[in-house]
Amino acid sequence: MKDKSASRRKFLKLGVAAGAGALIVGGSKMLSAFSETESRETGEKIKVLTQDGKLVEVDKGHTCCEPVSNQEARQGMPGKKMVMVIDLAKCRNARKCLEGCQSMHNLPAHMDWIKFYLMRDGQDTAPYWFPKPCLHCNNPPCVKVCPVGATFKRTDGIVLVDNERCIGCKFCMAACPYSSRVFNWEEPKLPNPTKERYSPETSAPPKIGTVSKCDFCPDMVRKGELPSCVTSCPNGVYWYGDKNQDSVTNGTETVRFSELIHDRAAYRFMEELGTEPSVYYLPPVDRAFDYKVGFEGLSEEETALYKKEARLTE
Amino acid sequence: MKVDEKTMRNLDFSRRQLESISKKGIAFIVAMLLIISVGVYALYVQITQGHGVTGMRDNVVWGLYIVNFIFFIGISYAGALISGILHLLRVPWRSPIIRMAEMITVISTMIGPTYILLCIGRLDRLPNLLLHGRIQSPIIWDVIAITTYLSGSILFLYLAMIRDAALLRDNPVTRAKWRNPIYRFISARYQDTTKQKELLNMVTDLLSIVIIPLAILVHSVLAWIFGMTLRPGWHSTIFAPYFVVAAVYSGTGVLIVVMWVFRKIYHLESYITKIHFNYLALIMIVLGALYGYFTFSEYLTSWYGSIKWDMEVLFRLFSPKEYYGAFIFAVFIGVLLPIIIVTVPRLRNINTIAFAALIAVLALWVKRYLIIIPTLESPLLPVHDLRPEYAHYSPTWVEWALTVAGVALFLLLFYLFSKFIPIMPVVRTGEEKDYSRLRKLVFEKQMKKIIQVRKKSDSIAIAIILVVTGLVATGAKAQDETGTKTSLRLEYLNTDATRVLTAKLSAKKEGKFVPLEGMKIKFYYVSGKEKKLIGTEETGAKGKCLVEIPADIFASEGNKGAYNFEAAFAASRNLMNASSSVGVRNVNMELKFSKKDTVKFVNCKLWERGKDGTPVPVSDLKVQFYVPRTFSLLKVGEATLAEGEATIDFPVTLPGDSIGDLTVIAKIEDNETYGNVQASGTINWGKPLPPEVPVRRGLGDTNAPLWMVYTLIVLLSLVWFHYMYVVFTVFRIRYLGRKNAKPESVS
Repeated sequence: MKDKSASRRKFLKLGVAAGAGALIVGGSKMLSAFSETESRETGEKIKVLTQDGKLVEVDKGHTCCEPVSNQEARQGMPGKKMVMVIDLAKCRNARKCLEGCQSMHNLPAHMDWIKFYLMRDGQDTAPYWFPKPCLHCNNPPCVKVCPVGATFKRTDGIVLVDNERCIGCKFCMAACPYSSRVFNWEEPKLPNPTKERYSPETSAPPKIGTVSKCDFCPDMVRKGELPSCVTSCPNGVYWYGDKNQDSVTNGTETVRFSELIHDRAAYRFMEELGTEPSVYYLPPVDRAFDYKVGFEGLSEEETALYKKEARLTE
Repeated sequence: MKVDEKTMRNLDFSRRQLESISKKGIAFIVAMLLIISVGVYALYVQITQGHGVTGMRDNVVWGLYIVNFIFFIGISYAGALISGILHLLRVPWRSPIIRMAEMITVISTMIGPTYILLCIGRLDRLPNLLLHGRIQSPIIWDVIAITTYLSGSILFLYLAMIRDAALLRDNPVTRAKWRNPIYRFISARYQDTTKQKELLNMVTDLLSIVIIPLAILVHSVLAWIFGMTLRPGWHSTIFAPYFVVAAVYSGTGVLIVVMWVFRKIYHLESYITKIHFNYLALIMIVLGALYGYFTFSEYLTSWYGSIKWDMEVLFRLFSPKEYYGAFIFAVFIGVLLPIIIVTVPRLRNINTIAFAALIAVLALWVKRYLIIIPTLESPLLPVHDLRPEYAHYSPTWVEWALTVAGVALFLLLFYLFSKFIPIMPVVRTGEEKDYSRLRKLVFEKQMKKIIQVRKKSDSIAIAIILVVTGLVATGAKAQDETGTKTSLRLEYLNTDATRVLTAKLSAKKEGKFVPLEGMKIKFYYVSGKEKKLIGTEETGAKGKCLVEIPADIFASEGNKGAYNFEAAFAASRNLMNASSSVGVRNVNMELKFSKKDTVKFVNCKLWERGKDGTPVPVSDLKVQFYVPRTFSLLKVGEATLAEGEATIDFPVTLPGDSIGDLTVIAKIEDNETYGNVQASGTINWGKPLPPEVPVRRGLGDTNAPLWMVYTLIVLLSLVWFHYMYVVFTVFRIRYLGRKNAKPESVS
């Protein structure tokens, strides 16, 4: 019993995030989110718990979530404003976030929606690791220049790409100051060739001749689940949440967004560009790891490249 | 149409040009077709295999194609600006050269945009530009501007050809007679009557006025594709005029080169003389100096300001390992050499002027390369990629083949046009001096130097080996497991009035526990030795399922107030048995909200039912208070139960939903005696969400800002109104010609 309760406690700690709600594919909010989409009604009812502990009955078909329609994907989830906070003090370039992202989105190898930089702002300043997903700017340069509206900004703050409308002109890639976008130069070789129904919210599967990028996982948000980068980070670097609810979570802890931003003096990357990112960075102070730990598992060439970029000589 | 003797001489000359085709000419056509077919094959490769066959990658997303695009649109200025301005100013020596200038415009405006198509990853989706076009995008500006410009250029060329076509109609060609009906059609029944002449002159003037600002706008828009981005070396206010000046410079250069070539091919020595070369060369070096001035201003400003990113691009340009040579050629040699050649009288003759023009044209091509590539190679964040093609651009054979094919197509079209259109206007408008006397003074030297242009050798396309990583399949199927150990975790949850048992089933696979989906779990109530089945449920996607405990179980005494439950998974196929049990006491939890002045309190009560049915308060337990958020529960407080009650101050600043409602949950987590106990309530204590104010017309929205829409409509309607007026006038000329034709046919 003791063993069990210990593991249960551990489970609960993890479970606070997904909470009671993880089992629980239901939830009244979620139901409304799916009510308009095409669903596989089976007529068979199952009972699920909502996040606040209410027992509700839903159709079994709802447990498997169909992606929303293109029109709905362009609107955004009402009342939400998704934000991310990245704690630079905890990152050690483990790259588990990218692994999680790639396996969740079924992306081909080398399609990096998260990129890692060894930053060193000035000659004598300290180097630190800097993971960078799409920053989902509130004044997105990529969206401005798209000739066909294939990339768009939603009311919930998320910038998505509709790869069934994208003509592949790459203007957005030239316009993005953060190098967040990747192009499908060749037929993408998906690790798991399943026939998923495409939606701009799932961003999968990627298509040849079009642009892809980090999508802030709105399909997961609709299920009440966290993006894979957040859950696969072993160090709790990523915080994700809804600014309108003043809450972000890194999978184990949930804190108030405003307090975190205030207490840790968060900043947004290259604020001077006026792009107003939705991703906030916590400065790399009192770091959990030495930056050198980040070289573990890297090839010599890659280490050398990082050192060169950061102008490190040893 | 009555003509004078001089015009008849011109006509005879032009007919020789139109009718003769030499062996060399045929060889030229064949050679060009061969080069073009290599380009077509390259295009086939690119379309079938994707853009991976080019040297372009995520950082350098645009390469040679865009360079060629700017180059060809640039040289199209020859016609629009040079011939338009010369025409408007009634420059007397313009006659023999404006036709060539206009042909350059039309041909290069047709070839240029094809290059932008080569950059498009999904040509099949081009209709989206019409279906979903956003006029906030500089690409759409470009599409609109270039179509308008091309239409205007064709119209301009057509107007200038009407007189010649009328002459050819009256004096038909004898070879390839299928051309005669075409000449008849495009002559628009022009008879050179006073009225027709007046109308034609009027619309030609009108169109040359329209086409000059239009041409400037087209190249400005092209520059804005780059200028509107936040890139070092691009994001510059000088860019639009800089592009315009560079374009006219290269346009004049191409015109001089074309003049030199046609003078040789068609023996135009008596028509195109040193005077023409000298005058154009003067225009060219003035433009060259202007281009040099802009260049100097641009680089001086960014070097002096020395912003980090600007410096990165400058370092590239000045680094001998990268672009130093090209930079010197494009910026110093490309400006200074033509100026020296043209301004030093001893160096100046037809051949050296043509050479200087060629240098200018090549330098400007290289300059476009230097505008595009080094900037794309220097993004704001470093390019961290071990694949060399991602860090540095080097064009592949596909891009080179299509580049060369474009030049070949330009030459071929020019040659073919010259077999169809007199390359010099037969009917010379305006006054013209007789240059034959001057011509005798001209000493022509053959150019002995062969200009060798070393082109960067084609790089080999590097195949990317994509390592396909396997996905760990979640929700593994039972068949995959062989005698696999399973684990079942049972939890009890007392939530408000409901009591629920949840179970999670997982199997050990490669050292990890993987949730099992679609398995039957049996839930029991255990009382003494008696086991009572509550229900059987199937696990869901996360290996979890739940069952509600019937209320009557808690009506019984239980085992000294404790209730035991068990969940079991029966061995199935290769999966091993698993079971889990939990024992809890039944408690009741109640949540209350209260308010004193501005302080808000949340109160939680917990009690057991005593033996006689009276409530017995439970104490010394920690209660957590949460507010549910999208992904998880946000903790708002914690208190210890004293005499069955725990109270917290509720934070006043927490946002609720649109009307300020929020849910509060009190929880006792994972208690050994009571399991999980929770109660929830909803209260209007949250800060209501501010209503969303949708921005309907912005740069990033579907609909464009109104000023943009109005500007576009006004500009476009101004231009297209003039086009329509020109077309209408041509029909009038045609109509007038029909009336006049009658008396002639009678006589």
